[in-house]
Amino acid sequence: MLVHRSRSSGWSLTDVVPWRSVAHRFSYVLFIGLSLFFLILSHAQPDIVTDIRERAIDTLAPVLDAASRPMAAIDNVGNFIRDTVYLRADNARLRAENAHMAEWQNAVVALEKENRELRGLLNFKPEPGFSYISARVIADTGGAYSRGLIVTAGKVDGVRPGMAAMTGNGLIGRVVEVGDWSSRILLITDLNSRIPVAVADTGDRAILAGDNSPEPKLLFMPHDSVAQDGARVVTSGHGGVFPPNLPVGILREGPHNSYLITPSADLGRVTYVRLVDFNLRGDAFNPVEAKIRAGHRNKKK
Amino acid sequence: MDAVWQRLDLWLRLAMPFFVSLVMALLSAVAWPLPYLGPVMPPLAFIALFYWAAHRPDLFPVSAAFAIGLLHDIINGLPMGASALLFTGAHQIVLRQRRFFAGHSFSLLWGGFTLAALAMTVAQWTLVCFLRWQIVPLAPVLTQMVLAAIFFPLPCWILYQLQRNVLGNI
Repeated sequence: MLVHRSRSSGWSLTDVVPWRSVAHRFSYVLFIGLSLFFLILSHAQPDIVTDIRERAIDTLAPVLDAASRPMAAIDNVGNFIRDTVYLRADNARLRAENAHMAEWQNAVVALEKENRELRGLLNFKPEPGFSYISARVIADTGGAYSRGLIVTAGKVDGVRPGMAAMTGNGLIGRVVEVGDWSSRILLITDLNSRIPVAVADTGDRAILAGDNSPEPKLLFMPHDSVAQDGARVVTSGHGGVFPPNLPVGILREGPHNSYLITPSADLGRVTYVRLVDFNLRGDAFNPVEAKIRAGHRNKKK
Repeated sequence: MDAVWQRLDLWLRLAMPFFVSLVMALLSAVAWPLPYLGPVMPPLAFIALFYWAAHRPDLFPVSAAFAIGLLHDIINGLPMGASALLFTGAHQIVLRQRRFFAGHSFSLLWGGFTLAALAMTVAQWTLVCFLRWQIVPLAPVLTQMVLAAIFFPLPCWILYQLQRNVLGNI
């Protein structure tokens, strides 16, 4: 029973009137019913719910964008201070790295030439080119239940579900929902993220499975694998989700013969992402659905 | 003309609790400059819901709790309707128990919030696990709850100041 009065004399919003109490109880039933309706709808008609979600996030994107700008400015100041403090140390490290890279560059140029010649000999079909869409991160969503980001690029910019999201260092996730001006990225650390990967040195294939922790684990790793701590893990290209050889992370042996991956990209501080269109067929995003669609097409023929 | 402005002013003041809760729901998702905050960011929307349901339920009806819950689900990619359901339920519970922790000492309010947050966390975790049919790791969820309980006085103080300055004697 709602028995409270607002403190002003003229504005008593909830008087103790029987019909109010009835309306009050009815409103609880109504809103609990509505919540259950949405829950059932998201199971029965996930497409409708995804559509509602995409539209809502599109509407909220300008607000989130505006709110994230002061945050980005604070972050920039922090970075400026940090960069200034570590200027000398960074400079020395970069010089050393640069010398190392110059050696690598020579090797790469030679290998590239050799590779081109060998491909020419084999009539190798070249892989389709990549195109990039850069986007700013405006929200870090999911809280404790999932790992995701909302970025400022959508259908208008050419974003499609299934695109890979990368930073300069490596793969961070894939696009799962696309609105007109914004999209949601599911990070590789999310509980529902499954990505076919391979250990670069040994070629062992496995599935990278997120578990909401900062270090996703490798499933179905071969028992006789000789992969060691520190090995590079890259996408394997299986399943048609991503092209092969995108850097994902570094292998680390976990407890009970498990393998963990330390992501190459620092997922805790992503401010810009590159959404990469590998010109793989859109169908390849969901192999099962693609098969069903292909089946329909064949029937029509 | 003055009367129109006065009414507009009053209306805006009365709508403040809802809009502040809306902003808090958005703020908990905004990309903050603190690294690694995202996964353990306290659910500000729930703090707002608890505060207003305890202090001004006349200005924060169950429809507001439902709307904030739905927004929380949309932004955070949770099953749509999950937080809406829990926030609606939490609104009812806080409303029934408000005489115990509102209007007494702050520590009682704090204690009340800690209990409510714990109950909410357990209920939300169970519901999300059931809806997704998978065991969601509990550790980050509990960390988030503990952080929310520890930092509760800060948003609470801001909300108290807003209530005092904007609503005053309304």
